[in-house]
Amino acid sequence: MAKRARETNVREIELKVNGIAYHETVEPRRLLVDFLRDHLGLTGTHIGCEHGVCGACTVLVDGQSVRACLMLAVQADGAEVTTVEGLARDGKLHPLQEAFWEHHALQCGFCTPGMLLTAYELLQTNRTPEPDAIRDAIAGNLCRCTGYQNIVSAVQAAAQAAGRA
Amino acid sequence: MADTTRRKWVGKSIRRLEDPKLLAGEARYIDDVHESGMLHAAVLRSPYAHARIKRIDTSRAKALPGVLAVVTGKEAAVLAGPVPAFCAEPVVQHAIAIEKVRFAGEAVAAVAAVDRYVAEDAIDLIEVEWEPLPVVSDVDSALRPGAPLVHEGLGTNLVFGRTLTFGDVKGDFARADRVVRRRLRWPRAAAVPLETAGAVAKYERTSQRMTVWANTNMYHYSAMPFAGTLKVDPNKFSIVPVAVGGSFGSKHLLSKVITIAGILSKATGRPVKFMEDRIDNLAASDSHASDRVYEAELAVTTDGRFLSLRIDVVDDYGAYFQFGQTSHGNYLSQVTGPYTIGSVEITLKAVLTNKCQQMVYRGAGSEVNNWMLEALVDTAARQLGMSPVDVRRKNLIRPEQFPYKIPTGNYYDSGNYAGVLDLALQMVDLDRWRKEQARLRAAGRYIGIGLATCQQRSVYSATEFWFWYEKPGFPVTATPEGVTVRIGQSGQFTVSLSSPFWGNSPETVVAQVLAEEFGIDPSTVSVLYEDSIRALPAAGPGGSRLTVMLAGAVNGASRKLKDKIFRIAAHLLEASPQDLVLADGKVSVTGVPQRGLTLADIAANAHFFKMSLPAELETGLDASHTYDHPFTTPPSADRSDLGAFYPIVAHAAHVPVVEIDVDTGLVKFLDYVAVHDCGTMMNPAALEGQIAGGIAQGIGTALYEEFVYDSEGQLRTASLLDYLLPTAAEVPSIRIGHQETPSPYTPYGLKGSGEGGRMVAPAAIANAVQDALAPLGVEVSELPITPDRIVRWVREARARR
Amino acid sequence: MKPPAFRYVDPRSVADAVGHLQEHGGDAKILAGGQSLLPLMNLRLVRPQVVVDINRISALAYIRETDGVLALGALSRLQAVVGSDAVTRRVPLLAEAAAHVGHLAIRHRGTIGGNLAHADPASEIPAVLLALEGQVVATGPRGARTIAVADLFRGPLSSALDPTELLTEVRVPITPPGCGSVFLEVSRRAGDYALAGMGVLLQRDGEQCAWVRIAVCGVGGTPLRMREAERILERSSVTEDTLRAAARAVEHAVAPSDDTQASADYRRHVAGVLTVRAVRQAWQRAGREGR
Repeated sequence: MAKRARETNVREIELKVNGIAYHETVEPRRLLVDFLRDHLGLTGTHIGCEHGVCGACTVLVDGQSVRACLMLAVQADGAEVTTVEGLARDGKLHPLQEAFWEHHALQCGFCTPGMLLTAYELLQTNRTPEPDAIRDAIAGNLCRCTGYQNIVSAVQAAAQAAGRA
Repeated sequence: MADTTRRKWVGKSIRRLEDPKLLAGEARYIDDVHESGMLHAAVLRSPYAHARIKRIDTSRAKALPGVLAVVTGKEAAVLAGPVPAFCAEPVVQHAIAIEKVRFAGEAVAAVAAVDRYVAEDAIDLIEVEWEPLPVVSDVDSALRPGAPLVHEGLGTNLVFGRTLTFGDVKGDFARADRVVRRRLRWPRAAAVPLETAGAVAKYERTSQRMTVWANTNMYHYSAMPFAGTLKVDPNKFSIVPVAVGGSFGSKHLLSKVITIAGILSKATGRPVKFMEDRIDNLAASDSHASDRVYEAELAVTTDGRFLSLRIDVVDDYGAYFQFGQTSHGNYLSQVTGPYTIGSVEITLKAVLTNKCQQMVYRGAGSEVNNWMLEALVDTAARQLGMSPVDVRRKNLIRPEQFPYKIPTGNYYDSGNYAGVLDLALQMVDLDRWRKEQARLRAAGRYIGIGLATCQQRSVYSATEFWFWYEKPGFPVTATPEGVTVRIGQSGQFTVSLSSPFWGNSPETVVAQVLAEEFGIDPSTVSVLYEDSIRALPAAGPGGSRLTVMLAGAVNGASRKLKDKIFRIAAHLLEASPQDLVLADGKVSVTGVPQRGLTLADIAANAHFFKMSLPAELETGLDASHTYDHPFTTPPSADRSDLGAFYPIVAHAAHVPVVEIDVDTGLVKFLDYVAVHDCGTMMNPAALEGQIAGGIAQGIGTALYEEFVYDSEGQLRTASLLDYLLPTAAEVPSIRIGHQETPSPYTPYGLKGSGEGGRMVAPAAIANAVQDALAPLGVEVSELPITPDRIVRWVREARARR
Repeated sequence: MKPPAFRYVDPRSVADAVGHLQEHGGDAKILAGGQSLLPLMNLRLVRPQVVVDINRISALAYIRETDGVLALGALSRLQAVVGSDAVTRRVPLLAEAAAHVGHLAIRHRGTIGGNLAHADPASEIPAVLLALEGQVVATGPRGARTIAVADLFRGPLSSALDPTELLTEVRVPITPPGCGSVFLEVSRRAGDYALAGMGVLLQRDGEQCAWVRIAVCGVGGTPLRMREAERILERSSVTEDTLRAAARAVEHAVAPSDDTQASADYRRHVAGVLTVRAVRQAWQRAGREGR
């Protein structure tokens, strides 16, 4: 019978989350999403499936969207992570969040944090996305409430507002 | 039609009160609940669909550091009884199986540990010796003589069977020129909200008090049965609501999740959180949905009139019957659709098998009936050589016929079905699409235009839970919704709700109603959610009832508040209450606006200045109101008339246009028009959101979603890689139109609308696919319409030629 | 669903990584992008004793052109492959196929080396590398060896890599001028694994097809070269007849299975449909770019 692997190494990690530096100790197997939620108390990032399909756990790592359920916290050592909590400033919603609000782009809100960060990333690289490009970008974020069309409108509106600013 | 132009807030698409905290990631969902010393649970699930538990050894699991409790079914049964069930039949379910398991995924042991990782490590260490039993894998094998029994005590797998006849079905069929017959198969799907079910149970041993946080519903009512299950005094047991990440009917009770968390909390004396993971949720939730085979017949005349409907339906309920045959009571409210069908007979067989149990999913069984009926209607059209539009026009109930009593005894309160149809056809530009269809057909392309005209009943009455039984054990007749409205010391409004937030818009609804009633800014209203002890009686979201019920409850509380406000104002202004008017947050003497008091003034008096009030008034300014169903009547003793039980009936017409690549079987939407008449609209933007979301789920049911069980009862679609939810790439933009035919029975003429999109979309899409493949003679008799099935149907159709 | 415990190492060099693999052999799993491995670990279907995280080996992230070959370090992220100027211009088929892998968040982490080593028969990258006649470099305790992609895949999720070897580089011949290529797939939803997928690379010589390479995914235990179909098309014109004949050859050559998404029959049929569409499209593209 194979010897069961014992947890012999916890790791110290240093990372920034929403601009704040953290120095924590974690088991290597701790998923990034659990680290953010349980160790750092940032419960805005949600868990929907834990097998990388639903996108509810989407965060930005060094500016790139990733599924936090498919990343180990130790892999974020040295990285800058952005979660939904990093979008609003001092209680003032980010323009993307405002656009979601205006366009009724959320109902239960569970997919919303992941959706916002995916949209945020899209608008960094595509300032004037067409509806198809938006749909393509959010196709990896499941929503069971909205049917997506208001999310598309919201992202378009946010892009237009940013364009005018 | 009521003059809606005088309304200031009801009917406005204001942005939601719920949204800022959701957007900022600050809402508290169940997995965000944290209690000191909280442990985490994991569950060992049966790999067998049907097996006896011979021996279960938890010693190695218990010895794992970080594990505080490991509980088997036998051990759990000391701490808790069977889970609450709402069926009449003696089908007993324990949250953790004791002697045998009845479906693959049933819990056989539960662990509480310092975190979920360790709990799952402990699960790995539990050893079970199984005695596999023969599997009842489908209804045919379940009903065979000598079949293995899912519940031995029942003596059969036919847990419920009955025929209900309304009107002269035999005579109508005899008089018909033709009988249209279809055999139809509706797949097992489920709500699969993005958030799974979860509970945190906190049992305090010295005081024997239990508090449960859970993303559940109707906790005012369920608290007592749960207290009974968990052996806690009912007045020491409370359920605390949290924000819910979608439910669509699947989180009404959460009996297994709450009971397991409660058992582990009792076993450890610590708070315990049990979150379903996605595998738990897909395989072992409380709520798979309808799993039906229909033999359905529509009796028609040569000129296209529908005379009678005969339905033979078998529903595979899985291993338990927790909600009884509610999803078959549900559609009796609208079984004959929007048509003047004079009689109907329903023969139901509810069958138990070794699969996960059913509860309800958006539509609650009526969406299935809609699909079946619209399939018959389109088939009738084809056989009679009429267009799908004309055959419907011939039979739609006319505006002057309302309130319309259908053969089962339910009423349709109001409607203008031809108007909805006209608007839908105009919006989609049917003529243009028919021309386009002809042109593309000549070029070898297959586009289809689907039509479904369907009812969306709303605001259920409790009688649907028991009227299938001549002698029900507990014929509940209350379907309340209670709210408390408080006006604070500076005139600010706070509303306490007795039901949870499910992704619907209860806060916005109550704010809009209060704004309408008092002339205040709706964004200033604060909304709270009470726990089961402080909550008033309430049934919560479900059956598309909540907007209507909250409006009624807030109206009732507002009336009481206004009564007190006017009496205070009259006293202070030395005027008669009849001479006062409330507008824009101020009470003044009619015609003398400067002689007035703001709500803030009145509130200050009410809270602080008792001596300035009329002597009989108490200090304070709040009112509660528990609104119940505005129009419901009991069923007749012989059940030939089920009474009015779902008489607030919305209606919709959907017209999807699809193109089918017959070589790959892929379906693409070219257009999708949905016209809904939900009576007076409370918040059009929120309504459209519900419609679009419901249609997306309908697309899922029609094209993508199915729980596939094999002959050993193994669930083959047990992750989101295999159970496919539509993404933004699969759901088209829906063009939504509205008609408002108010209800005569409800506040503001509102009708419920939450389920509507999903209640119509599968029927419309199936008809669209059928229309596209009509040149090949393909009929759509099963869902989901997968690429594999389309290719196969096309191949078979071509071979027939 | 949380992963079981494991020992975690994150070497900074290939030599160190190989050292760990040598020490632990079959008890170790390499963690690259994690987009395939983490789901399996979360589901506890895979329980490595040791996880060797190679993401810190910066020397493995490169895309270089040398001597008619495009060399990609194993840690090249799939999105980097999609967006790479060199790949888009030099081996467009690879860039096109990479864009079909999952969604952006998956491509940000998923690597070309990891994708190949995972050897999922439904995956797009193995199929196009087969069509491109690529090679991989595997580095183990005894040094580096080159494996033709045609020899890399043994069966579903099974490759020719030794447990002590790390896939370190992918090599692809640069597509010559006058070529057209396309990757097409049929899947249930956007971003899903292919029910059937096909990569086609052909060189056009006037109205004749000089040579053609066709590889498929999702219709066998490994990606498959469709040599009989190639034979029918080579040195022929691409006409409705030759396309149909090639499609039939593909239908005969594939070995699909049933699963909950589609039957074997369907996959076989769709592989034939893709043949006609993909070859035609590659032909048209060659026409646009060729002489």
